[in-house]
Amino acid sequence: MMEKLADHHPKSGSRERFIAAANRKKILANKCVKCGHLMLETVLFCEKCSGGKFEDVELEGSGTVVTYTIQTVAPEGFEDAGSYAWVVFKIDNAQLRASGFLSGIQTPKDLPIGTRVRVTGYDSKHGLMLQKQ
Amino acid sequence: MISNKVCILGAGSTKYGKLSESIIEIALSAAKDAIESAGITPKDIQAGYISNVFGIADKQVHMAPVIMSNLGISHVPGLTIESACGSGSVMFREAYANVAAGFYDCVLALGVEKVTHTGTAHSTTLFSYCSDFFYEGGNGASFPGLFASMARAYMTTHKATEEDLANVAVKNHENGVLNPKAHVRKKITVDDVLKSPVVASPLKLLDCCPFSDGASAAILCSEEFARKSGRPYVEIIGSGRGASPAAVQGREDITTIPSTVAAARQAYKMAGITPKDIDFAEVHDCFTIAEIIDIEDLGFFPKGKAAHAVRDGATRLAGEIPINPSGGLKSKGHPIGATGVGQVVEVFDQFTGRAGERTVRDAEIALTHNFGATGASAAVHIFKKVDRK
Repeated sequence: MMEKLADHHPKSGSRERFIAAANRKKILANKCVKCGHLMLETVLFCEKCSGGKFEDVELEGSGTVVTYTIQTVAPEGFEDAGSYAWVVFKIDNAQLRASGFLSGIQTPKDLPIGTRVRVTGYDSKHGLMLQKQ
Repeated sequence: MISNKVCILGAGSTKYGKLSESIIEIALSAAKDAIESAGITPKDIQAGYISNVFGIADKQVHMAPVIMSNLGISHVPGLTIESACGSGSVMFREAYANVAAGFYDCVLALGVEKVTHTGTAHSTTLFSYCSDFFYEGGNGASFPGLFASMARAYMTTHKATEEDLANVAVKNHENGVLNPKAHVRKKITVDDVLKSPVVASPLKLLDCCPFSDGASAAILCSEEFARKSGRPYVEIIGSGRGASPAAVQGREDITTIPSTVAAARQAYKMAGITPKDIDFAEVHDCFTIAEIIDIEDLGFFPKGKAAHAVRDGATRLAGEIPINPSGGLKSKGHPIGATGVGQVVEVFDQFTGRAGERTVRDAEIALTHNFGATGASAAVHIFKKVDRK
């Protein structure tokens, strides 16, 4: 049985709070109160158990590179970013992946899979900022 | 569950490429070809299904009523469907479902796109809005970048090489040369691909499909309507839909696309066949890595083995399972709202003797596969040639 929809108002400003957490070098996740499953950003229902209540969990903003690309042809808004990588990384101590912007990557030698990265903040132009650890 | 058989009675496409006409003129041109090839008049059409993503770039949204009005059937209801690069097949599925359910006997399914006039940089930006933008486009990933991240994951896991990816492009260009409506009709070599400029490593320019304008249309009808016409037709024997997490980061395995696997499973089950029964397939090769992943997810090759199969020629026109005889998105082009319908046009052309030099010999069963974004939405359809003798 699903709980009443009235219990499921989206948290106001969850994206702003994700950004605020990133600026404290953390990743804001939602932890399902019922089953403990973690999901990123705005969620209404748990993908595992359909539970509708979550508590904020601030994960340490560090992890390991799962995959990435060096974005040689930069999209609009990133032309001034120099040589950079868009990176998918697994967050430490969680079965969650996030993605972000890592500047200064020239060739694949600069970023082997498994390299440790950490969140340094959130930039209004370039998004979730990472650096190599 | 589904009682009524649905058939394709006619199909047509514009040339894909940089087109100068308005988006509505492009759409109407494909509609006219499909209507004529079906031997019907617009008055036979009971509903219109339109797929499009960036009509706003040519100052036209709410496209269905405009197209219906210009076909002289303004009283016929239409709707416009958007599912990024998968719009065509996702829309086709809705057209199929409505005929199968008996709501209509004859409908128009038409996909159209026009973006090249906005330029490469702005088109790239528009396309990035199809990603899960907060995590992907907003952090600097273009679409080539997202597929490049999938390519790197695949190459790392399955020991594939950049040459392996290049083989896909070479094969699709080989086919596209034989397709008069293809956008890029040019033979290329593995060396050409490897030496082309890097867009987002490990993908290079010739690993990527072009931005294209174009339209494709098909006439779907009930079996009774098709039989009465006395004309050649193709039967739809399987239809499946699937979905994946919108963002690449949401997938535990980045070397497979869950929506493809789910849609294919449904379509095979409905058709009562297995991947071995497919004689050729049109698949979503927006980037070379996509075709490698597709043909594993569709069950043609075991996981991690597709790159070798492509290298050995198994997917060429005369191979054991020809993939993208039309030239695919890579060579035929990728007008994103039209692509999924364009694949159906290729099947119709192949099965009704209109495919010329690229005809797959003795083919009787074909599959189409098309997805949106990095595979967040997908649809698979299976078709059977109908012997009119």
